[in-house]
Amino acid sequence: MAQFHRQLFKRPPIAPLDYTRKAWMRLWVGATLLFLYAPLLVLMVFSFNDSKRNAVWKGFTFKYYEKAFANSSLVDAMVNSLTIALFATIVSVVLGALAGVLLWRFRFPFKSAVEGVMSLPIIVPEICLGVAMLIFFAKIDWPTGMPWPLNLSAITIAHITFCFPFVAMVVRSRMASFNREQEEAAKDLGASEWQTFRDILLPHMKPGLIAGALLAFTLSLDDFVITFFTSGPDTVTFPVKVYSMVRFSVTPEVNAASTILILLTIALTALALKVQGVKGIAETH
Amino acid sequence: MALQDWKQHKRPFAAIASGPLLWLFLFFLVPMTIVWLYSFGQNSGPADINITGTLDNYKRATEWLYLSIFGKSLAVAALVTLICLVIGFPVAMAITFAPEKWRPWLLVAIMLPFWTNLLIRTYALMMLMGSNGYANQGLGAMWEGASWLKTMVGLQPLEAWTPVQLLYNNFAVVLGLVYVHLPFMVLPLYSALDRLDKSLIEASLDLGAGHLKTLFTIVVPLAGPGIMAGVMITLIPALGAYLTPDLMGGTDSQMIANVIERQFKRANDWPFGAALSFLLIYAMFILVALQSLRGDRTKTGER
Amino acid sequence: MKEFGNTGNLRLGRRSLLQSLGVAAIGISFGGLAACSKEAAKDAAKTGGTTKIAPTGEEPKLNFYNWDTYIGETTLADFKGAGGADVNMTLFASNDELFAKLRAGNAGYDVIVPSNDFVERMAGADMLIPLDHAQIPNFQNIAPEYQDVAYDPKRKHSMPYTWLTLGIGYRKSKVKAVPDSWKVLFDSDEYKGRIAVLSEAGDMFRLYAKYLGKSVNGLTKDDIKLIEAMMIKQKPNFKAFHEDNGQDLLLKGEVDLVLEYNGDIAQAMAEDDDIGFVLPKEGSQFNSDNLCIPKGAPRPKNAHAFINYLLDAEAGKKITETILYPTPNAAAKALMPDDYKNNPVIFPAAELMAKCEYAKYNPELQPLYEEAFTRVRAS
Repeated sequence: MAQFHRQLFKRPPIAPLDYTRKAWMRLWVGATLLFLYAPLLVLMVFSFNDSKRNAVWKGFTFKYYEKAFANSSLVDAMVNSLTIALFATIVSVVLGALAGVLLWRFRFPFKSAVEGVMSLPIIVPEICLGVAMLIFFAKIDWPTGMPWPLNLSAITIAHITFCFPFVAMVVRSRMASFNREQEEAAKDLGASEWQTFRDILLPHMKPGLIAGALLAFTLSLDDFVITFFTSGPDTVTFPVKVYSMVRFSVTPEVNAASTILILLTIALTALALKVQGVKGIAETH
Repeated sequence: MALQDWKQHKRPFAAIASGPLLWLFLFFLVPMTIVWLYSFGQNSGPADINITGTLDNYKRATEWLYLSIFGKSLAVAALVTLICLVIGFPVAMAITFAPEKWRPWLLVAIMLPFWTNLLIRTYALMMLMGSNGYANQGLGAMWEGASWLKTMVGLQPLEAWTPVQLLYNNFAVVLGLVYVHLPFMVLPLYSALDRLDKSLIEASLDLGAGHLKTLFTIVVPLAGPGIMAGVMITLIPALGAYLTPDLMGGTDSQMIANVIERQFKRANDWPFGAALSFLLIYAMFILVALQSLRGDRTKTGER
Repeated sequence: MKEFGNTGNLRLGRRSLLQSLGVAAIGISFGGLAACSKEAAKDAAKTGGTTKIAPTGEEPKLNFYNWDTYIGETTLADFKGAGGADVNMTLFASNDELFAKLRAGNAGYDVIVPSNDFVERMAGADMLIPLDHAQIPNFQNIAPEYQDVAYDPKRKHSMPYTWLTLGIGYRKSKVKAVPDSWKVLFDSDEYKGRIAVLSEAGDMFRLYAKYLGKSVNGLTKDDIKLIEAMMIKQKPNFKAFHEDNGQDLLLKGEVDLVLEYNGDIAQAMAEDDDIGFVLPKEGSQFNSDNLCIPKGAPRPKNAHAFINYLLDAEAGKKITETILYPTPNAAAKALMPDDYKNNPVIFPAAELMAKCEYAKYNPELQPLYEEAFTRVRAS
């Protein structure tokens, strides 16, 4: 294998660091992407399969898309999921940014304890946090049966709890590369605390915020276990719905709904890349 | 990096700290404390728990049965992390050295499957890997081809193709976990490699070191913290995984999270489930603490 | 069996193209959809003209927490059409989930469908409200043997919805003989690697008890030890422990023998002629799913009305046509075609049924089953 590499590396037109143009590298990335996407492709193809089972191809049909759209509870669940993810992301980004700055900027008593606790939501087993939330909301008598979207509040709160530490982590690592002198210079020039934050810190933080937001959105949209324990009859989310549907058998209807969600995600991502500028996301990491 | 003392900046400190700390206290520490207290209790009815301060749950949780499952989970998670690292590192390298305009798209390509529901992804993978799934059909076709080639050169044909058992065993669990956690690994690796000073690599190559040597003597040490972050961010969720072993595993593929889940649901033994959960949390906490200790040491070393 | 398959296909219920196009159009304007559907609901309520009060005097709404594929295709709409409340059905996947979720408090469910042992458990934990039989006149449709049962004397807390029994589902072309004994699953390597059994510890231990000629409720600690050893010995022959989706494994050809409920296999048989079901000769375990009202239900009167409607003969017939489970509703069964009534999978022979028992909720043994099963899996 090593010999094979060296042989490839000898080819003159490829610059030494042009790893992406090396055949074996392309093959590797291609194979990885195939591994990641093959199941999704199969899933998408089978959403057009004219059979109730996902086993054999029986013919082409759109009927499961009709069914998925006509299934109002499925559509409601998707809307709930997106709504929760949106709110959870916004609050998580704010809280996470504050927490990240807090840990990066200040020295204060019990700092390592706070740091430790902050990392806990990341390491607590989901089921345990789910049960904790279930008991908590039951004990404080959190109102149920409120009108939409207020009835999503319990789930949203639970999501924020496990999302914002991730944002804090990303923001903090981003801030590590910040040059403190800039901030001090701004203050020397008479900028207020808030002005410094808005004009100096925030722009530097932005890629971290975008990455954190993406992470939080993903985590919230995908969460099943914790949501399951905090959801009520009117607040079923997409993963909870899908879980109850596929526990017995995976129908093409679920495939169709997932395909819609995948395509929606691709569209939103492409849009975000166009609007946000491709660079913003790349700089993030 | 000079940290500010909170006493000298009380107002900004309060403005920044109050939100996250209050949230963490109210919506995380309080709920978790209830469960923590349950771990010192016992069932007194189908839906009642008496917190008696007993340590029985912990005693039971540290029995060999559960420790061995715990050890097995750790081994599986470590293996998954290692495979993710081996697969993910070249991918992260490729993204790092890709032309600027490709980079975000490659990153998104890695992230995208991640945005599909975990359960659906797992089922999609299972569809592919079933006895009559496409992976097996592909292998079968290759087998037939080989058999045909053999007959062409006048040899005995191979025996009839029997589907390979890809699902419902430990292999399936590892594969499924790698599938789910790969993006977790690639992102931090990429962010570490991206910050790396590329002139160092060029210098090493100019001085006659081979690519592999450069990789192991220059790139890996410099990307160390990123690799560590990737390892942690893959290992921890893999250790807590329960859906993948539940759906894709065979008769002996249970992991510790499955056992915990069963205590909370099927066994209806919340105190014991809580004790197992907190053992897992303590273990992970130690892992994280070790890593941050290491991180501190490298930092001082750099200075 | 052919005709039977037709009944199975009924439940696909194709929707008209026009309607689906309309819905798809709404679907496209995805973002505004939530607002749309809420508005539409409001409009519908307004154009309905009447005030928003159901005949029961409660708001016309009901939260029904049910298993998946466990209701008639049109039952909920029919109920609304008959002047009932607007039923919002959400799904749970196992009794454990149902119990775990409700044990801390009721988030707004009005009607739930626990199995017999969970009726016992939930009633014991004071999680169910006693039913007012005066509001459920259709109780008279229920066959006498289900009107008074040990797990819920005098039907104080529950109404029977379906009953079911565990047996062996198998692929006819892959077995040498009809596997009519638990021995094939539990104590033989004849079908090594082609067997899937339930992942539910309690059910597994109780069925082993049946195989050993004991009562499902008569297990002792020594029995559990013995059975645990038998399971560990048999484990290499199992391919997987499955949740309640054994019929899926069978249909996909992953396994050839599966431990499942008769209703699930009946559904699978409607799709695949090569599948059979047998109730082993040693007898088996009965289960029954029941309609209950959890404590804290916001709309108990609607809940009673809905339960009463589900026990109606015609409504029961429609439900049964879809789910193909044995029904305890004698009036509904009478309306069903002969290929349902005389189907030996759905209604096994009387002498076999006589050997089946209900499992009792046993708080002492349950944790022991779990721990032993964890050991089996870890071995």
